[in-house]
Amino acid sequence: MKENIITIEHVTKRYPVGEGEFTALNDVNIQFRKGEFAGIVGPSGSGKTTLLNIIGSLDSPTEGKAVVMGKNISELNHKDSALLRNLHLGFIFQVYNLLPVYTVFENVEFALLLQNKTVTERKKAVMESLEWVGLGKMANKKPSKLSGGEGQRVAIARAMVKRPEIVLADEPTANLDSANAHAILKTMKTLNKELNTTFLFSTHDEKVMGYLERMVHLEDGKVKQDEIIEAKKTE
Amino acid sequence: MKLAFQLAYRNLIGAGLRTWLNVGVLAFTYLLIIFYNGMIDGWNQEARRDGIAWEYGYGQLLNQKFDPYDPFTLQDGHGILPIEKTENLVPVLIQQATLYPQGRMISVLVKGIEPNQVVVKIPTKLLNESGAKIPAIIGKRMAASANLKEGDEVLLRWRDKNGTFDAGNITIAGIFDSQVPTIDNGQIWVSIKKLWTMTELSQEATLFIANKDYVYKQRSGWFFKSQDDLLKNLNDIISMKKVSGSFMYLLLLAIAMLAIFDTQVLSIFRRQREIGTYVSLGMTRLQVVQLFTVEGSMYSLFATFVGSIVGIPLFIYIAKTGIGLPSMEGTGVPIADKIYPVYGLGLIIGTLALVVISATIVSFLPARKISKMNPVDALKGKIQ
Repeated sequence: MKENIITIEHVTKRYPVGEGEFTALNDVNIQFRKGEFAGIVGPSGSGKTTLLNIIGSLDSPTEGKAVVMGKNISELNHKDSALLRNLHLGFIFQVYNLLPVYTVFENVEFALLLQNKTVTERKKAVMESLEWVGLGKMANKKPSKLSGGEGQRVAIARAMVKRPEIVLADEPTANLDSANAHAILKTMKTLNKELNTTFLFSTHDEKVMGYLERMVHLEDGKVKQDEIIEAKKTE
Repeated sequence: MKLAFQLAYRNLIGAGLRTWLNVGVLAFTYLLIIFYNGMIDGWNQEARRDGIAWEYGYGQLLNQKFDPYDPFTLQDGHGILPIEKTENLVPVLIQQATLYPQGRMISVLVKGIEPNQVVVKIPTKLLNESGAKIPAIIGKRMAASANLKEGDEVLLRWRDKNGTFDAGNITIAGIFDSQVPTIDNGQIWVSIKKLWTMTELSQEATLFIANKDYVYKQRSGWFFKSQDDLLKNLNDIISMKKVSGSFMYLLLLAIAMLAIFDTQVLSIFRRQREIGTYVSLGMTRLQVVQLFTVEGSMYSLFATFVGSIVGIPLFIYIAKTGIGLPSMEGTGVPIADKIYPVYGLGLIIGTLALVVISATIVSFLPARKISKMNPVDALKGKIQ
C-alpha cells in the first residue's frame, strides 16, 4: 500500500463575491497516493483549479485541512509554502507560463537556481530534463520561437527538473492540438512510471481522461465520484 | 540577494530595447549632471585663479576710509603706511579721472601701481620700458571701449589733492589681456610714482596687495581682507549658479527616475503572470520584491557602465580643449572665453551614488505591491 502524500479533509473554500460569497469547494474529502496519475475532472466552475491551487499551497482552504507532503497548508507561512513548492511541487499551466525573456535552458534552470544548485548540477539536470521531453537541441531558443507543443514540453521539463514528488497540471492540453496533446500526455505518463512522480491534473479534456488511472469528479465544489480506472486502461 | 542580481541581470538583458531605452535616459542624465557641475567647478576654479593672479594676490590691506563699493570714498580713502611696514605689499593708489578719447568723455579710475611688482599679473613692467611722459597700460576691454591701441596718446584730466583740475596726455604703453573685468573696464594703470606726482599724494596708497609672504599685523587706519573675503562675491555668484543648477539636475534626475518608476509600475501589472510563475516555482514574496527592486537599480548600474564608455573619453577631451563661451562683457563676472571643466572624484562618485540610490528607491516603491499580491490572481493576470 503506497503512502498518502495529499490528504484533503472537509475542505471548503469560499470567495467573497459582491456582498455575498461563492462556494468553490464544499466539504471535499480526498487522498492521493504517491505515484498516482490522477485527474480532477469536471465542468468549468466545478472547483478543479481551486482544489489544485490549495494542494499547490498557492491558496488555502476557508475550512478544513489540506495536508501535502505532511504539511498542513493552512499553517504554512509564506516562506514555508514557497519552500514546499520549490522542493516538492512542480506546476504545469494551461498557458505554459514560460518566462519570455529567458531561453528554454534558463526557464528550466530557474527552479534549480532557487535551490542554490551549482552550475554543473544545474546544467546536468536541465539537459537531462530537456532530453526527457525531447527538446535537448532547443536549449538556447527563446519561448517565442517555440510551437505550442514545444512550449508545454518546456513547462513539463521545468516542472520535472527538480524531481518533485508531485506535479500539478492545470488544463495542460487546453491550448494544444490533438497530436501534441497525446505526445505531452505520453511524456508525462512515462515520467510518472520512470520517476514515480505523482501527477495530478485538473481537466475536462477527454484526451487527458484517456490517460488517467484515477478520476475524481467534481461538481459544484463537491466530489461526485472517485473512479479508479487503471484496470480499464490496462485492457 | 545574489539570486536577485543574477535574475535581474538576465531579465534586463532579455528585455532588450526597453532596458536600453531606460539605460540611455539614465546615462544621459548622469553625463549631463556631471558635465554641468564640471563646467561650474571649472569656471569656479578658473575665476578664483584669475582673480587671485590678476587682482587680489594673497589678500589686500585697505585704507579704513576706502570702500571698494562706494565711489564717494575714493576722494579721501587713502593714506600713508610707513615704508618699513610695507614689506611684501604692493601699493596701489586709486583716483578718479576723465579720459577724452577722440573727443568723447569717459569717467575712469586711474590706478597707480609699483611697476616692478610681481604679485599680480598686470604687465606693469611696460610702464618702465616706455619713454613717454605719462605711460599707461590698459586692458583689452578698456582699449575696445575707448577705441585705443598701443602707442596712442589721449588726454586725461584729474584732480590733485587740493581738488584742482590738471590734465595731460597719457601714452598707451601696453594693452593686456585678462579675464578679470574689474581690473580692466574703465581703468588706467600708471606708475604709482607718476600718480603721486600728478596728484601730489606722495607716498599715499588706497590699498596694498599682499604677496604670499605677507603676514598680517594690525595697522591703525588700515584693514585687511583675505583672499576668501575678496573672493566672497565670486563665491556667492557661483553658489547661486550652483543652486539654480541643482534645480536643473534635480529636474533631469526626476525625469530619469520617472522613466524607471514608470517601467517598474508597468512591470508589476504587465508581468503579473511572471510574478505568479516565480511564486509557483518557489520564490518567496521577499525574493520577488528584491528581484524587482534590483532590476530597477540595475538600470542605474548599466547606465554607469554605458555613461562611462561615452563619458570618460568625452570629458577628457572637453577638459583638455575647453568649451568656448559667448562673451559676458559688461556682466562684471570674470569668465574666460573658454571654460575648462573640472571633474572631481567627489562630483562623479556623488552623482553616481545619487542616481543609484534614487533608482533603487523608485524601484522599491512599486515592487512593494508584489508582497500584497495573491499568487492565484497573479497567475491569472487578474490584478488591477
